[in-house]
Amino acid sequence: MADEIVVPVRADVDVLIARQKARYLAADLKFSSGDSTLIATAISEVARNIVIYAGHGEIVLRLVQKGRRRGLCVIARDQGPGIADISRAMEDGHSTSGGLGLGLPGSKRLMDEFEIVSKLGQGTSITMTKWAP
Amino acid sequence: MDQQSPAMSDSPYGDVLEIGEEELAQRKAFLQFGDADVAALTGINDVARRYAGTVIEDFYAHLLAFEDTRAFFADPQVLQHVKNMQKEYFLRLTQGNYDLAYTQNRLKVGTIHERLGLPIKSYLGMYNFYLRNVAAKLIEAYDKQPAQAWSSFLSLMKLTFLDMGLAIDTYVYARERTVREQQEAIQDLPTPVLPFREGLLIVPIIGMIDAQRARQLTQQLLSSIRANRAKVVIIDITGVQTVDTRVANHMVQTVEAARLMGATVIIAGVSPEIAQTMVTLGIDLGRIATVGDLQNGVEMAEQLSGYKVTRTENPPPHSS
Amino acid sequence: MRAPILKQGKILIATVQGSLTDADLVQLREELANDVRRYRSSGVIIDVTLLDVMDSFAARTLRGINAMVRLLGATSIIVGIQPDVAFAMVQLGLTLEGSPTALDLQDGLLLLQRIQGTAAHG
Repeated sequence: MADEIVVPVRADVDVLIARQKARYLAADLKFSSGDSTLIATAISEVARNIVIYAGHGEIVLRLVQKGRRRGLCVIARDQGPGIADISRAMEDGHSTSGGLGLGLPGSKRLMDEFEIVSKLGQGTSITMTKWAP
Repeated sequence: MDQQSPAMSDSPYGDVLEIGEEELAQRKAFLQFGDADVAALTGINDVARRYAGTVIEDFYAHLLAFEDTRAFFADPQVLQHVKNMQKEYFLRLTQGNYDLAYTQNRLKVGTIHERLGLPIKSYLGMYNFYLRNVAAKLIEAYDKQPAQAWSSFLSLMKLTFLDMGLAIDTYVYARERTVREQQEAIQDLPTPVLPFREGLLIVPIIGMIDAQRARQLTQQLLSSIRANRAKVVIIDITGVQTVDTRVANHMVQTVEAARLMGATVIIAGVSPEIAQTMVTLGIDLGRIATVGDLQNGVEMAEQLSGYKVTRTENPPPHSS
Repeated sequence: MRAPILKQGKILIATVQGSLTDADLVQLREELANDVRRYRSSGVIIDVTLLDVMDSFAARTLRGINAMVRLLGATSIIVGIQPDVAFAMVQLGLTLEGSPTALDLQDGLLLLQRIQGTAAHG
């Protein structure tokens, strides 16, 4: 089993592929089905942003280890327009196109660790990790 | 992991407390234990070697004179073994090089003593005996230089207090670990979700709810709703002492999630104290039904389910 | 993955058959709009028993469907949200804005009956 899987994301069907692959990895890590759904949901949120705002990018699924704990790290990155005001985007209730905005605060709640780096005109990279029980 | 908090190690002794370089340095600084003390201690090493035999004999005579401590040395082989170990420790005190390896060794010994069940009072009493006994020997050895005896003694006292601090820490660590394990055992107990009537579940919550347990509870509850085809769930918090914002938010989330699955949640057993707390915290339970006691909760649930319990005119015959 | 819509008298039952792409969701909304008008349906049940993830777009689309169906004078019910999905939804803060929900299709039909006060079969 690979330590890392890269899923190119170009269309909404790729979002489903990334979610499914994440579920397989989560099962290997003995995540509960509840946690597996949380991970898949978080991926759905961030991967959609790639499709809508950047056009294309990738989801990287990586097995990580911290001491004796194993976890699943998800990196969602693109070279799209970037986010102008990250702190606003991370506020609950912030909305860009009249919907739920970028869904970032929600994704953060679903995962154990969440980091976002974004630069206008250069792109966005979101790294989120969930640790197995 | 926080720098200040101790780590666990995978030693043959099992779970042993560890401290790091920084922590050790801080402890020495607080005791004002420095190079001068190290020199003073190594300086009395030859005195230590000269008196080691008698100090150890005196020490064990003292331990064996008291019922509490005698019990640990009932077996003569054990006694001989610990005497040898004590002699080594005694000499080690004046051999310098009080580094991390030294402290690790002290921590292991402390762990062993804790596991053997040696009480702290005995541990401290033993150190006390050592210090007094050695003080007497130092005065004897340095009878022409009392200042020297005194300053050497002070250095020894600093070191033994460092050792005592480590010993007590191992005891505290062991006790905390026991409590932690007990709490985890309690949390691992599945929260009972009790099918009460058809389509009706009762979930009694007892004790403390932390974030993890709240999450487990919610997931169990939701699974039970599906398994039991429940339409009404009563969460009974009669057994819960306090409710903070986080717990209240968890409850709100649980209610919302249950609603998504077509079930109504009633929170029963809301004491006046908890009600007040929730008001004070500004927690709005909104559309969530709450009742004061379980009985009311059950009645409300039955109404929601369309049940009606009526008393019959002629109760069925049965032996009283 | 698609979501076939079956007509049962005055009721439309849309059964989600697995993961839905955003395009699938949009298509579902359009088809339901057409069908409710065409058949003058009084009720719509969307069965998401097989939906493994409900994210913000899916919730938004379902809310839109509910609103649209209500505007057309019919009742909309979501059934079959799974425990894991319900949990993820509340963690994410998603809401169906109080739309009626039921455990599954069976309960959904009963609920529809109760809400409408009419027989399930047209």
